Amino acid sequence: MTATAERQMELTLPMIPDIEIAAARAAGNLARELGMSTEKIDEMTHAIIEACINAREHSGSEDRRIYVRFVGTSPSEGNPRIDVWITDHGRGFNVSEARTRRKTLGPAHKRGWGLQIIEAHMDEVDISTTAEGTTLHMVKFENKS
Amino acid sequence: MTDELKVTVDRRPNGAILYTKGYINNVGGEEIANRAYELMDQDVRLLLLNLRETKIVNSIGISILIEIIEKMSDKGGKISFCSLTPVINKTFQIMGLANYAQIFNDEDSALKELAL
Repeated sequence: MTATAERQMELTLPMIPDIEIAAARAAGNLARELGMSTEKIDEMTHAIIEACINAREHSGSEDRRIYVRFVGTSPSEGNPRIDVWITDHGRGFNVSEARTRRKTLGPAHKRGWGLQIIEAHMDEVDISTTAEGTTLHMVKFENKS
Repeated sequence: MTDELKVTVDRRPNGAILYTKGYINNVGGEEIANRAYELMDQDVRLLLLNLRETKIVNSIGISILIEIIEKMSDKGGKISFCSLTPVINKTFQIMGLANYAQIFNDEDSALKELAL
């Protein structure tokens, strides 16, 4: 059986300007403890920043909170991974519309790139969104197979 | 939460270099825009943004950089970037900024190419 070291962290963050940096720093610290490279950490933190900004700017949540959970796993053979969940209790959104918005509108429309950036920087992204809220589950591997 | 973005300007005979330090978010992007527009008002038409001390950007900040590029382009000028971290470079590519501005690995190569 493969031994793994698993570390978890949960944060509840107020939706205030620049709060995304708190989530990014926490994830970065966890990733460094797991031995992930600077490039992978930077990609992950930029995705987390966009996810938190999307929650703050677009969710319309009444509790004005972002719920963040990180789980870091470091198998004995190497290739650590971090799972990140970013949750809001807002109104949800249309995922397919958000994914195609940029292609439809073109370069003149400069805002709304968050989801594309998240999906480009993370190895796996799963979105659960309903009228009661949204959770992004994102995964970053040190070495993507 | 974060240190405010600092922008330092180095005026050159043919243009100017803007050095940024800190997080390019909406506030940081506006700070860069204010400095860039001041220079444009002084008829500066060649700007190099050196981001060597910026490690984090967000999509709102980049959208403001694209607006600056468009305004400079309307005036017949040019904006270039140098010294980006790999993730900032990748994010610029995703958002299409790289289609409208030259990106150099370092300041020396930018100065040589731009004759700044």
